[in-house]
Amino acid sequence: MRADYLAKRVGLFLLILWLASTINFFLPRLGGQDPVRAQLGAQAAMGGGSQVGMKEMIAEYDSRFGLTKPLWEQYLTYLNDTAHLNFNFSMSAYPTKVIDIIWRSLPWTLTLLGVTTLMAWTIGTVLGALLTQPNAPRFLKFLLAPILTLSAIPFFLLGLLLIYLLGFQLRWFPLAGGYDQGLLPALDPKIIANMIYHSILPALSIILASIGFWTLGMRGVMISTQGEDYLLFAESKGLRGATVFWRYAIRNALLPQLTALALALGNVVSGAVLVEVIFQYPGVGSLLYQSIRASDFFMIQGVVFMIIVAIGVATLVLDIVYPLLDPRISYARR
Amino acid sequence: MANDTWRYMRRNPELIVGLCLLGVLLLFVAIGHAIVDLDKARPLSGRPLLPPSPSLPFGSDKQGRNLLAVMVIGTPQTLEIGVLAGLIGVTVGTMLALTSAFYRGTADAIIRGVVDVGLTIPGLMVLITLAMNVKGGLSIPQMTLVVAALAWLFPARVIRAQVLSARERSYIDIARLSGMPTPMIIIKEVLPNLMPFIVASLVGSVSAAVLASVGLEVLGLGSFDSLTIGMTLYWVIYYAAIINSWWWWWIPPIVIIIILFTGLFMIAVGLDEISNPRLRRRA
Amino acid sequence: MQEQAKPTHSINRRQFLRTALLTGSVAMVAAAVPGAAFASTRQVAAGQATTLKVVPRNQTLITVRGGTQGKFTEDQLWNPFIATANHQTGPQFVCEPLAFYSAYQDKMIMWLASAYEYSPDYMSLTIHTRPEAMWSDGVPFTADDVAYTYNSLNALGSKVKWGADVNQVLDTATVTDPHTVVLKFKSPAPRFFEYSAYKYDIGIYMMPKHIFEKQSQDISTFPHWDVSKDWPVTTSPWKVVYSAPDQKVFDLRDKWWGTGIVADMPKPQRLVYLPDPGEQNLAQGMISNSFDIVTGIQPTTFPTVFAANPKITTWTGQQAPFGYMDWWPHSLYVNTRSGPTADKDIRWAISSYIDRDQIVDFAWAGAASTAALPLPQYPGTQQFYDASQSLLQQYNTLEYNPAKGDAIFQSKGYAKGPDGIWVAPDGTPMNFDIISFFDFTSVGPVLVEQLKRAGISSNYSEPPNWFDRFSVGDFSMALFGHGGSYGPDPYYTLRLYQTASVAIVATHQTNYSLWENAQYDKIVDDVYAKSPTDHAAMVDAWTQAMSIWLPELPDIQIEQGYHRLPTNETYWTGWPNAQNPYVNSAFFHLTPALIVHKLQPTSA
Repeated sequence: MRADYLAKRVGLFLLILWLASTINFFLPRLGGQDPVRAQLGAQAAMGGGSQVGMKEMIAEYDSRFGLTKPLWEQYLTYLNDTAHLNFNFSMSAYPTKVIDIIWRSLPWTLTLLGVTTLMAWTIGTVLGALLTQPNAPRFLKFLLAPILTLSAIPFFLLGLLLIYLLGFQLRWFPLAGGYDQGLLPALDPKIIANMIYHSILPALSIILASIGFWTLGMRGVMISTQGEDYLLFAESKGLRGATVFWRYAIRNALLPQLTALALALGNVVSGAVLVEVIFQYPGVGSLLYQSIRASDFFMIQGVVFMIIVAIGVATLVLDIVYPLLDPRISYARR
Repeated sequence: MANDTWRYMRRNPELIVGLCLLGVLLLFVAIGHAIVDLDKARPLSGRPLLPPSPSLPFGSDKQGRNLLAVMVIGTPQTLEIGVLAGLIGVTVGTMLALTSAFYRGTADAIIRGVVDVGLTIPGLMVLITLAMNVKGGLSIPQMTLVVAALAWLFPARVIRAQVLSARERSYIDIARLSGMPTPMIIIKEVLPNLMPFIVASLVGSVSAAVLASVGLEVLGLGSFDSLTIGMTLYWVIYYAAIINSWWWWWIPPIVIIIILFTGLFMIAVGLDEISNPRLRRRA
Repeated sequence: MQEQAKPTHSINRRQFLRTALLTGSVAMVAAAVPGAAFASTRQVAAGQATTLKVVPRNQTLITVRGGTQGKFTEDQLWNPFIATANHQTGPQFVCEPLAFYSAYQDKMIMWLASAYEYSPDYMSLTIHTRPEAMWSDGVPFTADDVAYTYNSLNALGSKVKWGADVNQVLDTATVTDPHTVVLKFKSPAPRFFEYSAYKYDIGIYMMPKHIFEKQSQDISTFPHWDVSKDWPVTTSPWKVVYSAPDQKVFDLRDKWWGTGIVADMPKPQRLVYLPDPGEQNLAQGMISNSFDIVTGIQPTTFPTVFAANPKITTWTGQQAPFGYMDWWPHSLYVNTRSGPTADKDIRWAISSYIDRDQIVDFAWAGAASTAALPLPQYPGTQQFYDASQSLLQQYNTLEYNPAKGDAIFQSKGYAKGPDGIWVAPDGTPMNFDIISFFDFTSVGPVLVEQLKRAGISSNYSEPPNWFDRFSVGDFSMALFGHGGSYGPDPYYTLRLYQTASVAIVATHQTNYSLWENAQYDKIVDDVYAKSPTDHAAMVDAWTQAMSIWLPELPDIQIEQGYHRLPTNETYWTGWPNAQNPYVNSAFFHLTPALIVHKLQPTSA
């Protein structure tokens, strides 16, 4: 039974992967823009001058990138390459390979957004749960309103304000970038500390802006859980309030919160684009935006494919792990 | 009647606060239309970068626009995008969810597949790609369609889950046994019970749609002639209004956005209370 | 499947969950460190350096420009001939030229070349290189490198930057002795050396033959980047020690061939080049002394910056226009082949609807000036402005006179519709799409409003493929500049409007206006064959050309382009400015070496 379910799930995962990749292939080409011409044109415009022989140069690059081949041939090549994780060269950053650029940027995004999402989720969940307890510390109740307001501000706006207030006016934090200029990223504790220092403002804006959502969600779930019979039973058994709270209420309320977390992780990269652009953070989000603006097909394909794989794997893992967490769910459910 | 309403208000303050906040915005727009000459929202209407004064309650921006006029025109435009896109999204999403959950089979498989794949691809990327392929920057109707194109995915998934569980209820069995055709069952039995969820989805959709459109505009993909909140924020960032201390330029749009999102948030919380009886406080 | 709640089973699950929770939390808290470490190893591999030596801030020069969304894309390309490379963000510091040309002084500053002379018929050019010149790996710079560079460009033609320009006239380049190279042309080329010299964004970069000829890739694709081999090999005093999307770092070498010969050894020990972080961060960085010179900021931001940091200054000190006139005058290009703008009277009518002073006022806060001709007003070009005065009286390209425009439209049968927009006799309303890019974001909306008030509806946008469309004529209106003449030679500006050229093989793609006039073409061809030193002939040709060009008005003149670059004198002084205009201060043009060799440290 279990193996059967697993096989079906994995099969579905691969199907989604293929479908999404196909859309990923066609989407950037929808506009009919020639990425090479766009790139060369941008350089010419920046240079303020005019380039004789642009047409020939474009033709040369087009053939070099295989853009002159018929579409179906490009598609098959793309499928084959993608299966080998070969995303070709980046058109805008030629001759750098797409995979190298992705590897450079991915850790920044994963670290920043992964950590902040998890932190916001944890803080929000605990806060939301505590808010439902009548004997929770009083100041928590007053936190609700400001948190809600902060959640209402789109986090990229919050980021701008934080840069201005904390970075510029108060000079507590650096203004932009992943680390101080003149420093090289290295396995040096001081440099790593510097990188963490630079990530505090972006992290703060994401956390502050998303805590409210998790808090309310958890509060809602906790309140529904509180009506459940087993809690009443636990209380009448004479268990301590804290025990009932932590081992009965929260444990069960966590399940829907976890599902929501998994779904949210999928949206992490969408949100990353705006945050990274505002903070000049060298992650995958700004990379994606950069490559879309430049119509760099190969880069877009590479980045989006990695994202799809990440989300697909996360969903797959959750689907498999969920029944472990909630024994009421059985694999045999249709 | 008034007594009941008052008592309900005390039990569900969030919903009322949310509605009031949106009301404040609408009131602002209404009053604004009356007191300000809307032509002044165009560039070159007056001297640029003037701080607020009796003739310019919100001051002017770099291109000489009367910022009060801009806010009065732009707020409903932003709302319009959000509401329309949200409505389209939820309507389409609900219809597809109902079809998928009731008729199962191939329709279900296709719809579920599309939703799964659609939710996997980063939404903003699709939006940006679509936005870039439109010549001349996204106008408001185009922005609405583009955002709506993605707005139906999430409601479809959520509502489908709700319908699946509602399907198993006994009253549906009774309706089916008494010979009601399926479309009638959907309309008369399922939809009314789903309403709280649908409305909650709508509020969420509207929020997300406004956020998406503001995000696209801030990235510079909107139309430069547009007066929406998102475009105002784009100019604020382009001219570094914050560091240049032109506070009258960046504070109103941010306040309006805060009021808008907080209002929608509150309404969502209030609706949650209606649909989930356990959340109700004793009056 | 039934899950029996057997004691052993539930304990297993519980234990599993507990351990999972523990490891999860530990992993989460510690995630920052491995994440950063992973990022660093990847970054390090790309930048190809493991550590940088420590250089104090007051010995470092930090510059900012370029990149997209805060990251460079061409960081691995140190051969500026590659089409996707960008000499504005790094290579301009390390690739030295045969000579520099300073437009403000109208002076050729010899560098790797010591002298040059043309044959009387301009069919050949002899260049003498300096015997002291040396590549950074100890190999002497000789005429071989010059010949190699030119011959490679000639052979590759349009596959490489500037290749087509060279290919048009060059026959061969031959070395006669280690320090002399003779270039033979297919047709008279009196401008060839001056074209090769570095000025603004035009110039030929000299490449090391001994490195390039050993590569399997040619000059059009070889990136020339490897820190372990000390590539790029250059004649400059700079060594590229790190290059990645987030920054490019150059350290000063111990020795440089040019010390005492062409200039002093630079005083900065390190150059750092950073990508553009946006207007707010540019201003904040200047104020906090994190940057020494940056790409232009908005005129309205300057007062804020000056107030917060008095050490910040510009070409014109702390007064408007906060910068210098760039070589790139702006105008409104219109499609002269299709649409209503194919009619020259309509073009003049539209020109009369534009209030250029208002554009200078609203778009640039007064920190700009108008331009009557598609030519910057430099010492060398002033004579052409003077010579055109009488023509300009008759054909006033700067005139703001809506009544005149109305008269023209009415005479053509246009009538204003109920919304105030002109409607053509055939019923189509006047509507244009103005496309451009971020240099013109301030101008676009102002222009749109002016046109609307005049009765022409338009909308301004910056589509990502705008230049694509612009260069193939797929536009109705566009805002752009003119990369033409900057000195006493009017040829480059004149050629911007040629259809095809008889004297030179292959067509140019610079006539964005798509305007054609056979008589005008002939005049420009004649100019090409004459030497730019024949001033009388140049002025005469210019006047003749203008007498055809002005009545036609292929594009509508608006303003001069300005570079408003804030410079920070906290750590470095000696920047060029209006009192000391030894070169334009754009460090992203090809001429920053002239600045860097002159900067002096302060006591900070």
